Amino acid sequence: MVSSQTTTQSPSVQSQSAATMAPNSPVPSAAVPAATDTQPPVPSPSEIDFSCRLPLLVLFLSGAVWLLIASAFALIGSIKFHAPDFLAGTPWLTYGRVRPAFIDSLLYGFCIQAGLGVSLWLLARLGQTRLNRRWAVTAGAAVWNLGLTIGVVGILWGDSSGFAGFEIPRYAIPLMFMGYVMLAFGSVVVFNQRRRRELFVSEWFLLAALFWFPWILSTAALLLDASPVRGVVQAIISWWYSSNLQTVWLGLVGLAAVFYMLPKLLARPLHTRYLALFTFWTLILFGTWTGVPASAPVPAWIPALSTAATVLTLLTIIAVAVSFYQTACDRSADALVRSSDQPAVKAQARTRTSALLSSPERLALWFVTWGVLGFIVAGVMRVLSTLPGLSETLGLTWFTPAQSMLNLYGFFSLVMFGAIYHILPGVIGIQFPSTRRVRAHFWLALSGIALVVLPLAGAGILEGVELQNPARAFVEISSATLPFLRVSTLGDLVIAAGHVLFSWTLAELVLKCYRARAVSAYKTATADLFHPVEVKS
Amino acid sequence: MPEPIQPTPIAETGEPQASQLAMPVWLLVLMFLLLYWGMVYFDQHSGWFNTEVYVPYYSLAEVQEFQPPTGGVDLQRGKALFDNVCALCHNPDGMGKPGQAPPFVGSEWVVGPPSRLIRIPLVGLTGPVSVKGQVFTFAASMPPMGASFSNDDLAAVLSYMRQSWGNKAPPVTSDEVKAVRAQIGNRAQPWTPQELMQIPAK
Amino acid sequence: MNHGPVIFLAAFLALTASWFGFVLMPDIQVGGLQQTNMVGVAATYPVERPGLAREGLDVYRANGCASCHSQQVRQSGTVCNVVMTDAGTNRVAVIDVLTQELPDTSRSEIEQMLVGLPKTVLKGSDRPKANRMVRALKSSGAKSSLSIVPVGPDIARGWGKRQTVAEDFLYDDPVMLGSQRIGPDLANVGLREPDARWEYLHLYAPRLEVKGSIMPPFRYLFDERKIGQAPSPDALALPPDLAPPHGYEIVPTRKAQGLVAYLLSLQATAPLFNAPLTVPPSAEPTAQTNAPSKNP
Repeated sequence: MVSSQTTTQSPSVQSQSAATMAPNSPVPSAAVPAATDTQPPVPSPSEIDFSCRLPLLVLFLSGAVWLLIASAFALIGSIKFHAPDFLAGTPWLTYGRVRPAFIDSLLYGFCIQAGLGVSLWLLARLGQTRLNRRWAVTAGAAVWNLGLTIGVVGILWGDSSGFAGFEIPRYAIPLMFMGYVMLAFGSVVVFNQRRRRELFVSEWFLLAALFWFPWILSTAALLLDASPVRGVVQAIISWWYSSNLQTVWLGLVGLAAVFYMLPKLLARPLHTRYLALFTFWTLILFGTWTGVPASAPVPAWIPALSTAATVLTLLTIIAVAVSFYQTACDRSADALVRSSDQPAVKAQARTRTSALLSSPERLALWFVTWGVLGFIVAGVMRVLSTLPGLSETLGLTWFTPAQSMLNLYGFFSLVMFGAIYHILPGVIGIQFPSTRRVRAHFWLALSGIALVVLPLAGAGILEGVELQNPARAFVEISSATLPFLRVSTLGDLVIAAGHVLFSWTLAELVLKCYRARAVSAYKTATADLFHPVEVKS
Repeated sequence: MPEPIQPTPIAETGEPQASQLAMPVWLLVLMFLLLYWGMVYFDQHSGWFNTEVYVPYYSLAEVQEFQPPTGGVDLQRGKALFDNVCALCHNPDGMGKPGQAPPFVGSEWVVGPPSRLIRIPLVGLTGPVSVKGQVFTFAASMPPMGASFSNDDLAAVLSYMRQSWGNKAPPVTSDEVKAVRAQIGNRAQPWTPQELMQIPAK
Repeated sequence: MNHGPVIFLAAFLALTASWFGFVLMPDIQVGGLQQTNMVGVAATYPVERPGLAREGLDVYRANGCASCHSQQVRQSGTVCNVVMTDAGTNRVAVIDVLTQELPDTSRSEIEQMLVGLPKTVLKGSDRPKANRMVRALKSSGAKSSLSIVPVGPDIARGWGKRQTVAEDFLYDDPVMLGSQRIGPDLANVGLREPDARWEYLHLYAPRLEVKGSIMPPFRYLFDERKIGQAPSPDALALPPDLAPPHGYEIVPTRKAQGLVAYLLSLQATAPLFNAPLTVPPSAEPTAQTNAPSKNP
């Protein structure tokens, strides 16, 4: 792999000095001679892409496999609302084990792996540096997957830790921690060796996220698993961990991808650096205090603080919305480019626009755009469900999982799909075999998410309102939510179909790539054998 | 078998940039408004970090307001008496004074069985006394106070001690004080801790 | 924000702040919690769950019961009731007091109040008003008592007597509060369904006990075995369509026994300083008294 890496790329693209490489300049069609600088030349985008190939493929492919596994668990869990006796005789497929297995497969299997893959690529690209530790990163991904497999099997086996969002049994955590550290190590080295010193906004988010996760994971592992704290402090720490992972970590990585992809795919500058800075600070300052429900049996200051902080995360949501609107919908940015007297800027904008209109870049943009909408709606739902006056109704109902599904699928996964579809062709060096399939995946993902989130939110509101009326028997209330839950099974099915298409596309791309490499390697290797024969004849 | 595609670098546009335009001022204004709201909300709903305040109570005063009636024991009067009399040696915060008097905070004597606690102020206490595993020795014994307190007053003081400074024990009723007074009769010499430990808890 | 260390520091500070706030502070405040005295009842709370129930907590955890069941009772407020136990001898004075304290109540209704004591004469009031009423009644020669009553939809539903507090979970590891109510809240299930046989049948065939329940059956927690010399006392009494073949019986395994013991131990009703309530006289421990009760 390592040796073939260098053979696949043309050496002519390599040379370009840091001095001549303006941060925003397009890749030159012809290579510029290397400057007489002592610094090694800045690698070209395709060189960077190729250097990340192995770890990215491992991360994305295993992420896709975990998506399929998660979908299977989601479906099994969902079918139990049609027939409570379904698979009830099998202990390891009981709802209470399948549901955590679903959430953890989705969260740790897909979201974190895809997020780490995308961060790695973003850091390498934005820092204009090659990934030199691809074996450490690949091994990290392998260790992470091993740990997670043990963890999910452990949950099904009945070894769940009992903490929502952190059900992975204690014996799998050290492996996952090690895997993460190896993965993050590769990213930190890439960041450290970056050639472009000026940081783009995404790099703030990514760097913060890289450090965020090991801290919260070690806190949770030490204080919940290794030497457990007493009583409800366990619950507080598990809420703290969960919201720091699902609100802050996913928010940081997802928004980093959004702030990169939006301006890039739209061929416009991001609006604006300061708004992104504001987003960053509000997210890490307020997001980290969220997660404790108002009903928690803990001293009142804890939920009060959490509620105030959750309402303050509105600022993050508004900042992202403004930034998105101004970047995506504001035509004045185009006008600015058009009126620019620099021909280079104009030409660049033209090539970008034409590239934009051709798939699958546009599809990647669709994914990211809907992902941003998912972020906004999921964030508003989070605020609504903790708002004093509403939390009594919406808390402890289906509204909570609806919000968390929207955050995981409707925001993070969509953004990751867009990013992967954008990254992968370059990394593999092959254009998409079928944009139709990507398009189908998009529509399936979107309708599936709507079919899961809307019914669940509806069920939650209904359940919450009905629970306020003590005269209504609980069984009647739960029966009333059943039609909603059954519709969401359809959503799970549609989402699963989308995941099949996604995995199929990925697998096909990878197969094509390695087949092509094998063929060319075969040709190179056998050229000496055949060449003399040809001469003779 | 289709013709294999040769991996080729895909044409790539440059990395994105962020504009340097100033962020909207209204967002900053909104931030300060929300921060202000958050502070007001926290002030009203948090009970200011008090461990005893749980939703739906928002302050310690509210929790205290809903404590079940204590059979005529007036904690306000108890506090006033404590601050005037007991606090001279035991300190108003119940922490005691080195060389003079042991602490009441978390003391097993204070939150323990009322039958033992009530006896102490009536005729006093002497000898080394162990509180929370720490042994206190004092030059002078505690003087008897029984004559200067009515049953109601003593019940109020002791109840105040049992429910203050983090102590959480049920109040002492004036009937209990009355009963203990009758039991000890004319005894005048102070108790020793060993003697008190032999009094049944109930 | 152009240097890695600056960003690292920003993330570090933000996270450390919330770590101190939501990890360290709670651990200092509630992590060191000890047994406390109940208010108005001479007993300490909580007591550790019996051994079998602790095994049951593990079954509860392993099967993810917390995915569907919360253990968080919410209380929306607290009110005071005044119950008159004895009208005394001076009826006129008592009626005067009641008329004054309850201006919206007609004379005939007040006279009705004096019949068939004890009776709640003031319901859902705030503390000062209830205190005033108790004092006024006392001065008129009547006897009354003030009770503290937590209220809220969960409590009205019978899911608890008061809100759950940290003390209720002191000895549990892990603490599983749940986040969702796909099934009913279980914080007080031991109080609601105190019958172990009911719990076993409900686990084995939920719809047998609760029509329309969506709980899956947990038959893998039960054994089907040949009846020995005599039927086991634990064997489930099942209707014919669910009953095992002749000569066989369904008995709970150790896991089911543990789970049911745990469920029965779920009773968060102790009156505490931070969760005050008046224990109704019927629920008060009657250990120390041998006196014959008034109404046999």
